[in-house]
Amino acid sequence: MTDRATQRVATVVSGGAASLLLLFLAVPTLALVTRGGASGLHGLFADGELRSAIGLTVLAATASTLLAVALGTPLAWWLARRDFPGRSLIDALLDIPLLIPHPVAGIALLLVLSRDSPVGAALLAAGVRIVSTPLGIVAAMLFVSAPLYVSAAREAIARVDVRYEGVARTLGDTPWRALRRVTLPLARRGLLAGAVVSWARASSEFGAIVILAYHPRVASVLSYDRLTSYGLREALPVAAALVIVALVPLVLLRTLGRGQGPGSR
Amino acid sequence: MSIALDAVTVRQGSFTLEQATLAVPDGAYGVVLGAAGSGKTTLLEAVAGIRGTAAGAVRIRGTEVTALSPEARGVGMVYQQSLLFPHLGVAANIAYGARSDAAVNDAVARTGTSALLGRGVTTLSGGEQQLVALARAIASEPHVLLLDEPFAALDPPRRAAMRRMTRALQRERGITVLHVTHDVNEAALLADTLAVLDGGRILQHGVATELFAHPATGRVAELLGAENVLSAIATTALDGSVVLSAGRLTIHAIAPEATVPDGSVHAVIGADEITLSRQAKESSARNSFGGRVTAISGSGALVRVELDVSGTPLVAVITSGAARELALAPGARVYLAFKATAVRIC
Repeated sequence: MTDRATQRVATVVSGGAASLLLLFLAVPTLALVTRGGASGLHGLFADGELRSAIGLTVLAATASTLLAVALGTPLAWWLARRDFPGRSLIDALLDIPLLIPHPVAGIALLLVLSRDSPVGAALLAAGVRIVSTPLGIVAAMLFVSAPLYVSAAREAIARVDVRYEGVARTLGDTPWRALRRVTLPLARRGLLAGAVVSWARASSEFGAIVILAYHPRVASVLSYDRLTSYGLREALPVAAALVIVALVPLVLLRTLGRGQGPGSR
Repeated sequence: MSIALDAVTVRQGSFTLEQATLAVPDGAYGVVLGAAGSGKTTLLEAVAGIRGTAAGAVRIRGTEVTALSPEARGVGMVYQQSLLFPHLGVAANIAYGARSDAAVNDAVARTGTSALLGRGVTTLSGGEQQLVALARAIASEPHVLLLDEPFAALDPPRRAAMRRMTRALQRERGITVLHVTHDVNEAALLADTLAVLDGGRILQHGVATELFAHPATGRVAELLGAENVLSAIATTALDGSVVLSAGRLTIHAIAPEATVPDGSVHAVIGADEITLSRQAKESSARNSFGGRVTAISGSGALVRVELDVSGTPLVAVITSGAARELALAPGARVYLAFKATAVRIC
């Protein structure tokens, strides 16, 4: 076979493989939106239970993402900028939520936050109930999504030349001020992307939430509930609405991120 | 002293800046000369406080600042890559560390950057970026300006202009400058005081003209751009002159002070101190040898003639007119001569 023929075969094979995977990913989502999209959109306005589940999902995922950003950004900075003992242990700790099955993550959280545990009992004594409350939903979402944010933020901060911080310090900035005025603005695209991924992961979480807080029901739990109680027909609008709601902020934030690259003034 | 390093040691991975000691008087222009990887940037960052020290003391204007953070040291830093903040425009970059509008206006006026104020930093040329970086540093009104090869990436005319401007700024504002470079010509043009850095160690430091006139070792002489640095054995003659045995050559020299001990030394002969002729000539020059041209390079007013003199390589720099008249070419037999006073012993 000539070089050109080999190249053509390679193009056809690789193109076919890529198309197969893309179809596998796209067709179920498209089928869901096509078959359930209209009723899903209608359900967003007419179905009170669906509306409230989606509202709760959005609020809880947003709260979880804000917490991940607030608590994860300093950790990401430490991991990106400092070498310290136990660093690899922290790396492993951040990988655990991504590796274990999510219902197992829910069980682990339940062990720590239920009323039978010292932490759960102490929180309950302080009037804070986690299990089967919106707080439990946020906790489950945070557990599975925060590592994604920390990982993206660490990479974004590491990509910012550390000498920028040095220059800012010689120009009078404290470490915190240099971080706020230089490092974070320069890393903002990566941070934003990390937040988007974290939000998307949180809003789509099911396994950990269903263990820790089946009620009040978020959209993923509601779709499962409708499927098991009423069948596919009833679950379809909920699932389609969830896809539509998840896509809108994702597209918006990604567009926003693209328009704010370094170099703009 | 405005900047003083006293046995400063900095460890950075496998590299160590070892016991660096130097001093730059108040208002002077200090230069650290060293090849890539010799530790120049590490030294500068240690002065700025960006990099921590493992031992020794850093003093700025007489106060020990070793434990102080960079923002408390009163230094301004300009890197070779300018490192302008890309998310800010030119005006915001210059004003970043300034305490007053007057300081910004003064920095803009001195660096001639007023036409650039409305621009984004990514639209600037390399030279413009360095001007803005310099303006940003001086707008913060530092006591000490630290320059890390700031002109290395610029074309020759722009580099010359920036050198003139930086020197003028330093004189007018009375700022003490510590400038690191690998360029010996830049060091010669700018330095009041000079330190020669090699492999993380300062080999010699002091007044620049003294270093160029009396390099302490052959390595320092090499780093200062000397072409002909020969290892030799010195013996003192009865008349007080010094006789040097360098390979198969016997070279006569005059010790500037009666401090040259007998034994191993380095002889440094300026390439422009060597005269060439096609015939052996009687002259007062104490050193006269026959040799062969091995290579000729240079196309300007001066040419560099490489010679083999009884197995010892030497370099002479002569005018291109003289090279033409002597019809020099590789392989040509020549006679070279230089005075005993042209030999520096270190």
